[in-house]
Amino acid sequence: MIEAIGLVKKFGDFTAVDNVSFSVSKGEIFGLLGENGAGKTTTLRMLATMLKPTSGNAVLKGYDTQKEPEKVRAQIGILFGGETGLYDRLTVAENITYFGELNGMSRSAIRERIRQLAQAFGMTDFVDKRASTLSKGMKQKAAFARSIVHDPDIMLFDEPTSGLDVTAARDVHDFILRCKSEGKTIVFSSHSMSEVEKLCDRIGIIHKGRLVESGTLEELKIKHGNNDLEELFVRLVGAK
Amino acid sequence: MKLKHVMIVLRKEVKDLLRDRRTIISSILLPMILIPVINIVMGGGIQKFEKDMNENVMVALSRSSNSPEVRELVQERILSKNPNIVLVDAEDPVKALENNEIRCILEIENSYAEKLEDGQPIQITLQYDESKTKSQAAADIVSRAIDRFSEEVVEERIAALGLDPDFLQPVQVERKNLAPNDMGNNMMLQMMLPFMISILVAVGGIPAATDLVAGEKERNTFEPLLTTMPDRGSLLLGKYLAVTLFSMVSLVAILVGLSIGYIINPNSLTIGIDTQLQGISLDPLAVVLALLITVALGMTFSGIQIALSTIAKSYKEAQTYLSFLMLAAMVPGYATMFMQASDLSPVMFVMPVMNTVAAFKMILGGSINYFNLVLALVTSIIFVILTLMFAASLFKKEKVMFRN
Ligand SMILES: Nc1ncnc2c1ncn2[C@@H]1O[C@H](COP(=O)(O)OP(=O)(O)OP(=O)(O)O)[C@@H](O)[C@H]1O
Ligand SMILES: [Mg+2]
Repeated sequence: MIEAIGLVKKFGDFTAVDNVSFSVSKGEIFGLLGENGAGKTTTLRMLATMLKPTSGNAVLKGYDTQKEPEKVRAQIGILFGGETGLYDRLTVAENITYFGELNGMSRSAIRERIRQLAQAFGMTDFVDKRASTLSKGMKQKAAFARSIVHDPDIMLFDEPTSGLDVTAARDVHDFILRCKSEGKTIVFSSHSMSEVEKLCDRIGIIHKGRLVESGTLEELKIKHGNNDLEELFVRLVGAK
Repeated sequence: MKLKHVMIVLRKEVKDLLRDRRTIISSILLPMILIPVINIVMGGGIQKFEKDMNENVMVALSRSSNSPEVRELVQERILSKNPNIVLVDAEDPVKALENNEIRCILEIENSYAEKLEDGQPIQITLQYDESKTKSQAAADIVSRAIDRFSEEVVEERIAALGLDPDFLQPVQVERKNLAPNDMGNNMMLQMMLPFMISILVAVGGIPAATDLVAGEKERNTFEPLLTTMPDRGSLLLGKYLAVTLFSMVSLVAILVGLSIGYIINPNSLTIGIDTQLQGISLDPLAVVLALLITVALGMTFSGIQIALSTIAKSYKEAQTYLSFLMLAAMVPGYATMFMQASDLSPVMFVMPVMNTVAAFKMILGGSINYFNLVLALVTSIIFVILTLMFAASLFKKEKVMFRN
């Protein structure tokens, strides 16, 4: 479903992502684990066609990110950490509608989808309220709904829990698992091993732009003879 | 690039901006009331000032000439025909002038009666204060009144000799103003209006442009937007058209404000100086050309505004850049503001902002030079293309799109 092949991204002389390859099969959650500045966001931005790789390539659902970026974007939903990125002066429904329209949905399909999402996320009370009037938790729900309005097959999450309190982070985890249960393929970046361990089928550890290790949790444990993944992470990242 | 995507973005941005109080105030409300307000303030001020200058012109006689006979002469022969001049008694006329109690002092020879009788010139001295506008104006008013008195005496003497008064007027001059539309002196129309239109259209998109790129980055809505299906070109064009639309909205707002002002008070277009507004006939083709030039000006500035808003690292920085742009637009505007239609040169028609000012001055001045108008339109279109290309190139640059 997702194929990253030797992705390299240089900003001037600085190599932010250095020859990163991995693949994610349908319905899988792939965790990209790394410290601050490791290159997670840059990698995800290349998958999302926002940045052009200096070399290498990525193929999502059979579409080449460089040759058919529009088709790729139509297949992906994105939730980036920190702010929810809603338009304050628009209502929740208008925010969701905008992204639905941009992703090629018809008006009637969007209306039906909003009704469905509002029910699923418990947003019926505030779906017609302006985003500026909502609580943090409500905004987060709206952001979830917006990211999947076009029912994408692939979801990219960039540190979606950074800066969130425990309950909000759990809501994000639930949302990710819900996406998985709907058969979506997920790439998810984090700097917390416990979070990755909880959610991911497979992980890749990225350090200074290089993918230093990847595999299923079991594979990694066996390979390194270590049951404590947190310690493994520190060792891998510290060693290089 | 897809038109459908452009329209989706445009529609959303317009809806979003219309809910932004700041945009509404600076792009719609301000342009609408600006000219009427300037009129009321400036027009009212000028009218009041003119009234003050011409009415209640207080004068006093100097101490040495303050005799009942002189007073009588002044009352009868000068003041009776100039009711706006008032003769007052002053203990110390020089002091009174200093304290603005009177505006000038008349000194008239006490022997005036005999001299008048003998046909000799009477010496009248007019003391005033050149440093005071009102005193200066009063000196003119009073000396005109004295001239008239002098002419009357001449006429009386000629009549006494049995001659026709025309005998002393071998030549009569009649002046005729041939300025088209008779607007030579019309400050509002020829100076303020072209300036206001050009500046407001040039800066009208600023709040929108700040909001639509720098604002989106600041609020973290830009990155999700970039991951939707449309390509960057469509997103840019949608935003660009929204900004252009708001600069045009400013133009419409000005015209609406003007029309309302005119309906309420037809003199409101003239700042109270020149109230002849009848007989303006605007050349329709020239008006269309000028409006096209104005639209192109709005588009050019929208392109620059979007570009600056994209380059800026933060919302604040975008505001700073765009205030500089506003100043930059003012310079050519002010440079041409006080020019008259006859002062326009072809160079002005190829400079942004100046060309719009010049086009409107030309139309309001009445003598149309189509070559210059077309020149202005063609160069404006080139500016539109260049600035749009510049903005588009920025939207493709990863360095400016993702700064963090
Ligand atoms: N547009 C850019 N221009 C220059 N350097 C950049 C740019 N974007 C990222 N970088 C640099 O590339 C490196 C990787 O950044 P990236 O954002 O991918 O890291 P990250 O793993 O997401 O880190 P974090 O946990 O802080 O989000 C960093 O050193 C960053 O400074
Ligand atoms: Mg990051």
